[in-house]
Amino acid sequence: MLRFIIRRILGFIPVLLGVVIFTFFMARAIPGGPFDFVGDRSLPPSVVKNLEAKYHLDWSQGKQFVSYMIGDEMKIGSFTIYDLDPSAPAYSYGVLRGDLGPSFRYRGQTVNDIISQTFPLSAQLGIMAIILGLIIGIPAGIISALKQNTWLDYSATFVAVLGVSIPSLVMAPLLIWIFSVKLGWFPAATWGAKPPYFQNMFLTPGFDWGNYFMHAVMPVFALGTGLSASFARLMRASLLQVIREDYIRTARAKGLHERAVIYSHALKNSLIPVVTIIGPMFAGLITGTLVIEQIFGLNGMGKHFVQSITNRDYAVVLGTILIYTILLVFSNLLVDLMYGWLDPRIRFD
Amino acid sequence: MAVAELPAAGQLARKPRSLMSDSINRLKKNKLAIISIVFLVVVVFSAFVLAPYITTGDFADQDLMQNNAVPAWMVPLMPEGAENYARISTDFILGADDLGRDLWTRTVYGARISLLVAIVASTVSLLIGTVYGLVSGYVGGMVDTVMMRIVDFLYGFPFLIVVILLQTYFKAVARRGVGSGFGQSLVALNASMGGMLFLFIAIGMVNWIGMARIARGQVLSVRRKEYVEAAKAVGAPDTRIIFRHILPNIVGPLIVVETLAIPGYIFLEAFLSFIGLGVDAPTPSWGIMISEAAPGIRTYPNQLLPPAIALTLTTLAFNFMGDGLRDAFDPRLKE
Amino acid sequence: MFSKRTLLLVVVIAMLAAVAAQCGAAPTPETVTVVQTVVVTKEVKGETVTVVETVEKEVVVTKEVQVEVAPATRYDGKVTLNLNLGTEPPTLDPALATDTTSVNLDRNLFVGLTEFDPVTGDVSPMLATDWSVSDDGLTWTFNLRNDIPWVHYDPATGETVQVTDGDGNPRFVNAYDVEYGAKRTINPETASDYAYVTYIIKNAMEINTGEDADGNPTELTLDDVGVKALDESTVQFTLENPAGYFPAIAGMWILRPQPQWTIEQYGERWIEAGLIDTNGPYVLDEWIHGGSMRLVKNPLWINADNVQIEVIDLLMIQEASTAFALYENNELDTTGVPSPELDRVKADPVLSEQLRIAPVPCTYYYGFVNTKPPFDDVRVRRAFSAAIDRQGLVDNVLKGGQIPATSFAPPGIFGAPEPGTVGLGYDPEYAKAQLQDFLDEKGMTLDEFNSTYDIVLGHNTSEGHARIAAAIQQMWKDNLGTEVRVENQEWKVYLKTIKKNTPIEDEFSIYRLGWCADYPDENNWVYEVFNSEAGSNRVRRNCADPTCEETTGPSKFDELTAAAGIEQDPQKRIEMYKEAEDILAREEAAYAPIYHYTSVGVTKPWLTRNYPTLGGADWYNWKIDVEAKNAAMQ
Repeated sequence: MLRFIIRRILGFIPVLLGVVIFTFFMARAIPGGPFDFVGDRSLPPSVVKNLEAKYHLDWSQGKQFVSYMIGDEMKIGSFTIYDLDPSAPAYSYGVLRGDLGPSFRYRGQTVNDIISQTFPLSAQLGIMAIILGLIIGIPAGIISALKQNTWLDYSATFVAVLGVSIPSLVMAPLLIWIFSVKLGWFPAATWGAKPPYFQNMFLTPGFDWGNYFMHAVMPVFALGTGLSASFARLMRASLLQVIREDYIRTARAKGLHERAVIYSHALKNSLIPVVTIIGPMFAGLITGTLVIEQIFGLNGMGKHFVQSITNRDYAVVLGTILIYTILLVFSNLLVDLMYGWLDPRIRFD
Repeated sequence: MAVAELPAAGQLARKPRSLMSDSINRLKKNKLAIISIVFLVVVVFSAFVLAPYITTGDFADQDLMQNNAVPAWMVPLMPEGAENYARISTDFILGADDLGRDLWTRTVYGARISLLVAIVASTVSLLIGTVYGLVSGYVGGMVDTVMMRIVDFLYGFPFLIVVILLQTYFKAVARRGVGSGFGQSLVALNASMGGMLFLFIAIGMVNWIGMARIARGQVLSVRRKEYVEAAKAVGAPDTRIIFRHILPNIVGPLIVVETLAIPGYIFLEAFLSFIGLGVDAPTPSWGIMISEAAPGIRTYPNQLLPPAIALTLTTLAFNFMGDGLRDAFDPRLKE
Repeated sequence: MFSKRTLLLVVVIAMLAAVAAQCGAAPTPETVTVVQTVVVTKEVKGETVTVVETVEKEVVVTKEVQVEVAPATRYDGKVTLNLNLGTEPPTLDPALATDTTSVNLDRNLFVGLTEFDPVTGDVSPMLATDWSVSDDGLTWTFNLRNDIPWVHYDPATGETVQVTDGDGNPRFVNAYDVEYGAKRTINPETASDYAYVTYIIKNAMEINTGEDADGNPTELTLDDVGVKALDESTVQFTLENPAGYFPAIAGMWILRPQPQWTIEQYGERWIEAGLIDTNGPYVLDEWIHGGSMRLVKNPLWINADNVQIEVIDLLMIQEASTAFALYENNELDTTGVPSPELDRVKADPVLSEQLRIAPVPCTYYYGFVNTKPPFDDVRVRRAFSAAIDRQGLVDNVLKGGQIPATSFAPPGIFGAPEPGTVGLGYDPEYAKAQLQDFLDEKGMTLDEFNSTYDIVLGHNTSEGHARIAAAIQQMWKDNLGTEVRVENQEWKVYLKTIKKNTPIEDEFSIYRLGWCADYPDENNWVYEVFNSEAGSNRVRRNCADPTCEETTGPSKFDELTAAAGIEQDPQKRIEMYKEAEDILAREEAAYAPIYHYTSVGVTKPWLTRNYPTLGGADWYNWKIDVEAKNAAMQ
């Protein structure tokens, strides 16, 4: 088991390296640079030169890549191991030392700053949406499967299908219109932008949890309904299959209560497809869903994936993709480990 | 579906009442699925064949003087106060958008892009993913390790972002052409498809990997089953075991996953349109029509309804069809 | 240094843990820890070498976390303005700001030598009480007031205190701060995007580019820049050329006084809340990047008695329809109206009362590529320009009360002619005649014209531009019978395509662009954009070859616009610019102006605000009827 995990983690290295290399050179291959223009006007070459010199874009791409990976200099005390640019102080320390570099667009902010500012909200939204999806989806799927081909099953299926069929582009403005403008039940936006802030939320006595969740309701709902529908349908299909397996028949035959059969034998096994789909979904959701974040005015990571490419903000492109990739490979690993737990017949050999 | 045909072809001679005909019989009994299939056939047919005959003009034709026109019958659907601003017009069946383009025409033609994405992407990913997962899961050992290592490598790639990068790149070089012959021809092909090529490639690339993993996971839990052991014991060839014994037992969840993914594909197209990387204007797609109309939902909800209803109905149909197929092709679901 | 940098893995795990454990990494208003690198120049006696080394500094602005007093209560009962910025401001640093959001914030945080009268748009005194220019028009001397304090605001306590220097003396904004600010902007190491606007100042260009006129490395240093503080209250600028509009430039954000001590202490992060020192009507209380920002009134501001609004809560919501929903919920006091909602807002009895269309000093135009056939012929350009029904476009497509444009600079800019008085308006008969004239000379039919020339109208990817392009494409088709293809490109690529030196076959025939005022003078418009010698000249006027390597020598327009920049007599300048505008839009028809921008917004009845002719918002002049607002919030 431990060997399996270590082997898998070592396997991440080529993936991450592949992603970084691809993104690094791909981003720079797209025509247009970060500093060609300001607003509607082109910058004089001299100004562009200053900017490119400042951010080392005048270096060869190979040198830039080395600098991006390991930093442009390394010193121990006064001893210099290497220094790509002896005439200037250290500019970046490199990804391997945890420095994702500066943002070209948001001058004075680093990619580490941007990610730490936006990731918490995206993560909260994503995790809550998945939890909501599971809370609604799994029981709905179970009921559907157990009452297969009854009106309960049909209506659950219908609602679930409807849930996946409404795009969030429609759902989100609709929610704002009905529940915020018309009924005034929930705030339309400003989750995390107005008090209560997330800072130390678990440590602050008297943290306004009510207000916090009021802000969260609509975005989480908009994101979570689609998920719950997916989970419900997956769960139904999977459970239907599992309850026809021999070991379930055996369990029933030995006189176990139907409830016990389902909950202690069938359920765990039938979660496999759900878990499989949650893995990559998890990484995608907690790093931000652009549409939901944009419509509900949330300061999440989602927008940076797209904006940074539009702005040719290379370090932000790389930084966000890297974080996403790391989360993705780890959640995939988690999924594999879950397989073993959910179905003891699966072994890591 | 296509996958399930394989065993039937090889076995027909020996076994007249094949799994296939069994399945089709079961499918025929499922009214909802049949209705859905008929509906989808009608939609596909009208989008790709009938479109010029059932619409009044080109989807790009605009009449600025008729912008935001609302047909009289849709007025009850409008928000209160709409009578003060809505331009009531009898010229359009479903009204016109903000450039005075006929919404009915755009909805009909918009089906082309959305359906193309759904059909191409799901077929590609289902085919490649299932076969890959089957082989990997069934053979096991070194082969499995290597195949899964490849999948892991690709799985780690954040493909949505790779798609965005690639789309940005190809849209950027579209006007200038790229140096090498291969790149040039790719760009040309992409342009001839209205900028859809990389969308297809991308969706295919992302989703077969997911399918492969699900298929493998299913195989792993099935392959130690008695009936597989039994088949092995009587010396059945591997292909027969895979396609005859394993595939029918795992195909259900795969189809469900795939049909569940179809709205995702259609939405992905919408998302890319939303960020300006989708199909080139003025070509309509349901996705782009929805993203154009959604911000005006409170003023002109009538513009959102046609593409949204079309999309929802189509997705419903794909889902019920998926359910029907699953029930039909899973031999253990026989009542 | 390296030990302080966590491995990426640890960062990620720590972030996950932070989320799991307490869901928090939003910038803390209480404690600010800055780890920062500064360059220290050491001169050791007896050695000729200057040693540059990196020193690590840790500045901790520590404040007790005051749990018993929730931070929100500090703002309760204050006169509060709620606004939406629509985006995260890329910076607050006056030397680096380029976008309207950042510039507008700087306007409320920092004073300039001059400012613009919100009504007339004229240059009026601010930090400088008066100024004079030498007879040769090259030396400008500004006399400054000396009572504007530099203030530091402490977000933890909410106290604003005057900054003191090393000896404990209070700091007032003085001429040295102006000199420092100007030199910092010009310094190539600052890498300011807008540094080129300062090139009018003597030696600024040579120092910023690092090259002299012949392209050799410069020998000048920052000390040679033509800006000098003569004493605490006098600053002198020396220019390269005479420029009557210099007082307008002197008030721009890039030349505002900057706090040297703070910038040197904190480096690029000096603009963060709790670190920044400012001198304007407001101070920065909180900046949650990407989420929200709060400004509070500076009680030490010279004119504080007249500033009524005490707290400004700024949101950064991109989606206009969401911001509009917040407005309807009384959570914003003013906001823009998203275009799909315009019809409803105009018809709504309540909202239509709150609607206000304000001019924005920007112009939307279509540039013809003057070297690309058939647009190398002036008659074709005139035909295409006169065939655009600008009023129809505004009424049916834009709907925002935009002003149809026939010349380049919008009203409010010094020297701008009244719209409609010069240039070409909508005249389909004239347009047809011009095109026919061209066709007759070439012996072509219209069909042959359409098949010979592949006319492509380019715009950057955006729904708004696509709508306009589609509408104008149709007007050309209806009025001229010409077939024009519309193509769009992503912004960065688009700007590369429409560069002056793009190979002509890759270039569009017609491109769209907008231009907005940096400073309210015609020089910023016709000269900087269209002059074939000195401007960006994307339309390729006056070119000897398709990619405009050489020009055919200055034309009348070029000479006029160059001379008008140097001319000292304002009345003469107005006349010269009027003539230049007419030549550009009618005689040469080098481009087709389409409309001058407006902003369509709604404002709650309790907010009294102005709409400066030059755009932006001076929040310190706004007033709120607190009772009415509170009543509505109930």
